[in-house]
Amino acid sequence: MAKITYISRAGEETVLDVANGSTVMRGAVDNAVKGIIGDCGGACSCATCHVYVDPAWLDRVGEVGPIEEILLEEVCDPQDNSRLGCQITITDELDGLVVRLPEKQV
Amino acid sequence: MSTEAQTSGDAVYWDPYRPDLGKDPYPTYKRMRAEAPLYYNPDYDFYAVTRFNDVEACLSDHQNFISGRSDILEFIREDMEVPPGMFIWEDPPLHTAYRTVVMRVFTPKRMNDLEGMIRDYCARCLDAVVGRDKIDFIADLGGQLPGGVIGMLLGIPDEDRDAVRDRVEAALRTEEGKPMEMDQAAIMGENFEAYIDWRMDNPSDDLMTELLNTEFKDPEGVVRKLTKEEVLIFVNLLAGAGNETTSKLIGWMGKLLGEHPDQRRAVAADLSLVNNTIEEILRFEPPGPSVARYVANDVVVQGQTVPAGSVMLNIIAAANRDEGRFVDGERFDIHRQGPPHMTFGRGIHTCLGMALARVEGRVALEEILKRFPDWTVDTDNAQLSSSSSTRGWDTMPVFVG
Ligand code: HEM
Ligand code: FES
Repeated sequence: MAKITYISRAGEETVLDVANGSTVMRGAVDNAVKGIIGDCGGACSCATCHVYVDPAWLDRVGEVGPIEEILLEEVCDPQDNSRLGCQITITDELDGLVVRLPEKQV
Repeated sequence: MSTEAQTSGDAVYWDPYRPDLGKDPYPTYKRMRAEAPLYYNPDYDFYAVTRFNDVEACLSDHQNFISGRSDILEFIREDMEVPPGMFIWEDPPLHTAYRTVVMRVFTPKRMNDLEGMIRDYCARCLDAVVGRDKIDFIADLGGQLPGGVIGMLLGIPDEDRDAVRDRVEAALRTEEGKPMEMDQAAIMGENFEAYIDWRMDNPSDDLMTELLNTEFKDPEGVVRKLTKEEVLIFVNLLAGAGNETTSKLIGWMGKLLGEHPDQRRAVAADLSLVNNTIEEILRFEPPGPSVARYVANDVVVQGQTVPAGSVMLNIIAAANRDEGRFVDGERFDIHRQGPPHMTFGRGIHTCLGMALARVEGRVALEEILKRFPDWTVDTDNAQLSSSSSTRGWDTMPVFVG
């Protein structure tokens, strides 16, 4: 279990307890956090779960996969700390993770 | 609407080819969700799931529920041979290799860049019918726009677009009451070939040119360009998957907003509701009501073993109204706030064109509402067609004003 903080474009914070094995995308979608869609259900196929990972956490959220990399080139306003939320799997290590949401997903 | 099959007491019966059930499948779907969440049809020998969680789980499990024999009930039965590159009907690693290369060129950004052209296209179609007291959502817009947009994307000359659409539709149509038949020629689509040859000699900045030039790692791990045959299949896949579905979205737009005048007036007065309205139309009447999978291994669904070799029909249209997920799921409500529907599928085959379909839907609705804020459906002359894979209006005439 990890506490994950989602910060919307407008600065609104949602803090959720997300179970190990779930993902940053899943946690948001299951709790109706606005700003993450997750159309493909986490198959790394839709790029509607784009998040910006707080720089302090970047080295703990794992590597960007090859398909994720292609999708990340195409999201709205990609940055160096862009990730797909469905590709970040929750573990105890991620307790306290902060992600910011993009202006729009599609 | 009540049909014989709906009479309580009988076991629930679902047959995707029966026109009487196809007219209003929702009461049957509701009973299936409640009484037979794992449904089996002995006449056509298929299983079906209808609850949101079950459909989502099946579509997400591409190891047990495979696409390699196509995603259409009849084709799976026929044991058709899938041409390489038709990645909607392939499994990993083939699917991954091909989808990735198309994904690279078929990007949300490119889709959004098309918005201006899509708007002009809608404006041209609709301005031509301003002043009439009757318009048709299919003939006047829905039948033209999606093909036009694919054409823009690929750089296909205008005069060839109608031919493309007609061929694809003919290939997918089922005779009333009968399973659909395969038309291999229509799926392979020879007549794009001349165009590809021409494009090879006349490169431009369209997606076709990019496809011809992109390097990718093929299923054998070799880095190379796509062959002409592969490009041909992709183009046909995009045209096939993107035409009829989006046309049907526009038809349902006419139907649903025609029948809910208060909601139509609400969006017309506040165009910021357009996105939400499109999502609700997609949820309520998905243009592709179900997708099928071949069951590769014995698998347990709803506590029952579904044997390897079976066919599973994933009824998205039923899942989209599952009350377990959507409060008051049978009610059309453009103000609904999430959760998302499953109209574009789930898992590794999730619709590649959904960003494009959404832009088309949004722009079409905005341009319609600007010109025609009020309409009433001419029910007597509206024609529905339905098959196991698509359902929607062939004609959607409305009285305007
Ligand atoms: C409202 C319109 C649309 C709907 C409802 C829709 C629905 C779907 C669904 C349900 C699937 C998954 C099929 C499966 O899992 O077997 C799919 C796949 C696909 N769609 Fe769409 N679609 C629409 C528009 C488009 C457009 C405009 C395009 C492209 C121009 C497109 C291209 C594709 C492709 C290429 C696939 C295969 C993806 C894969 O297998 O990886 N679709 N679509
Ligand atoms: S949920 Fe689709 S890519 Fe993450």
